[in-house]
Amino acid sequence: MKYALLAAAVLTTLAAALLLGPANVPLRELVDSPILWQLRLPRALLAFLVGGALGVSGVALQALVRNPLADPFLLGLSGGAGLGAVVAIALHLPGPWALPLAAFVGAVGAMALVYRFGLMGGAELDPRILLLGGVAVGAFAAAITTALVSLAEATELRNAFLWLWGGFSGASWTTVLVILVYAPLPIVVLAAAARPLDLLALGEEPAQYLGTDVRRLKRLVYLSASLLTAAAVAVAGVIGFVGLIVPHVCRLLWGRLHHTLFPTAFLTGGILLAAADTLARTVVAPRELPVGIVTALLGVPLFAFLLRRWTVS
Amino acid sequence: MRRWVQRTHLAGLIALTLAACARGEHVPAGGAFTVTDDAGRHVTLAAPARRIVSLLPSFTELLFAIGAGDRVVGRTTWCDYPPAALAVPSVGDGMPPSVEAVAARRPDLVVLYRSGPNVTAAEQFERLGIRTILLGLDRLEELGPAARRLGRLTGHARAGDSLAAVMDSLASQPPVPSTTSLVFIVWDNPPIVIGAGSYLDRLAALAGARNVFHDVRSPSAQVSIETIVARNPDFVAILSDSAPPVPPRYASRPEWRVVRAVRERRFLFLPGQLFGRPGPRAAQAIHDLRRRLEAAR
Repeated sequence: MKYALLAAAVLTTLAAALLLGPANVPLRELVDSPILWQLRLPRALLAFLVGGALGVSGVALQALVRNPLADPFLLGLSGGAGLGAVVAIALHLPGPWALPLAAFVGAVGAMALVYRFGLMGGAELDPRILLLGGVAVGAFAAAITTALVSLAEATELRNAFLWLWGGFSGASWTTVLVILVYAPLPIVVLAAAARPLDLLALGEEPAQYLGTDVRRLKRLVYLSASLLTAAAVAVAGVIGFVGLIVPHVCRLLWGRLHHTLFPTAFLTGGILLAAADTLARTVVAPRELPVGIVTALLGVPLFAFLLRRWTVS
Repeated sequence: MRRWVQRTHLAGLIALTLAACARGEHVPAGGAFTVTDDAGRHVTLAAPARRIVSLLPSFTELLFAIGAGDRVVGRTTWCDYPPAALAVPSVGDGMPPSVEAVAARRPDLVVLYRSGPNVTAAEQFERLGIRTILLGLDRLEELGPAARRLGRLTGHARAGDSLAAVMDSLASQPPVPSTTSLVFIVWDNPPIVIGAGSYLDRLAALAGARNVFHDVRSPSAQVSIETIVARNPDFVAILSDSAPPVPPRYASRPEWRVVRAVRERRFLFLPGQLFGRPGPRAAQAIHDLRRRLEAAR
């Protein structure tokens, strides 16, 4: 029943994303319109795929650090992506892909640094070290970013922040293809780790006794989830909150087992972000809202409701 | 006929601007000068300002235009017009102003753009005994009042008034019936366009081009590509200082090519130095835009 509702929600959200938009195109003309094929369809798919990727990444990272507050961007990724984007603009790197690629490289760089932190002194990706390392690397990257922005004379830099706040204005079939080619690998790796992740929830030692190679598991999960998030940053900027609340929603509705959590988090994340983007495009038309604002406005009340249920029960 | 009248009127305004700039007569320094600035403060000077720091390119242009250029002792890095302004020492980018660098120029008047951080900076200058004036300068209508007050404070009241009269007359002109439409795209991802409450929107209207986002009541706004497609402008106007102008990077991206003007490469490259800020050369900018529109048609 719950799964049928989820499937219906996916279809409704995608249909709404295709039918609604700031341009009033009559239904009959919509079928032949480039507005549908070149703008709305790639944008809806991109929003759905990015939402799904962030949802899956959130589930994996919350399981890894065993902390319900973990968000895919907590581990320094957003800071690194911001630094990459600002460097690309400050150096006037050419080409339409310079900005997303630089953001991706920045995010992966930050991730590598946090990973290195996490392995220092045999810490073996201790959640506390990962979280602290993530916060520290993020703050460091943000400091360099701010220094660059205040020292450089390019007025364009202000706009780098607009891009970073996230959105799907750059959606095209190319970006959809990029994420379609890229995302399956980390998602498959994570899905394969579903059972060991269930064991990890019992604690590292019990998981080890039950036959899990905890060391290898943590490294694989950390790298896959971070690379997935970095890909999302490259095509859509930093969109907060999806990766934080989707795992909670799914755990409440479908329980704690990862073989159901991963697929449901993918679909729920997709629904949330595709719906948020449709609202962002239409509610204040002809203007547009940054999609991160809508995810927060939709997400926070939902989150508050869930927290209430959680603490009461 | 109508267009001819409009054009001669505009040419007349350009001539008037030049004339206003040429007459640089000084008003004898009598008692105190008081003007009210756009933050509602009363600015009183015992004598015309002799050492002025201008913290906005528009103010620098205005000061030079009313013949007070020889009194400008400090400017921002952005102040690049008129060429004579480049000889004035720079005090930094002015965002926010470096109080020390400005004070080191020992000014008796600092002209600031009215904004939150600048109000704080103005208070700091006043505590150092330096007089300040905060002026709003976002729209064509604000050029006249600014010129008038700067004229008063620098002892060039007549030149200031006469430039102000030209600017007011330009601002009160009815829009020319538009035969073409355009969109000002400031940034592509997310797409940011210029709306109605802006200088550029007025310039376009006076040059005979309809800004397709004239219904957006703020100077700039984020929109989606789809909305630009639906509004279907004839031209995409871009502020650019690169010579020769290069089409923006996004012009080759598939999602942007759904916009007809982008697909057909109907770009208007407007020099940022002339169009990017309200200034005494507004009439020249309108004339320039009209010429470009006619050439592109």
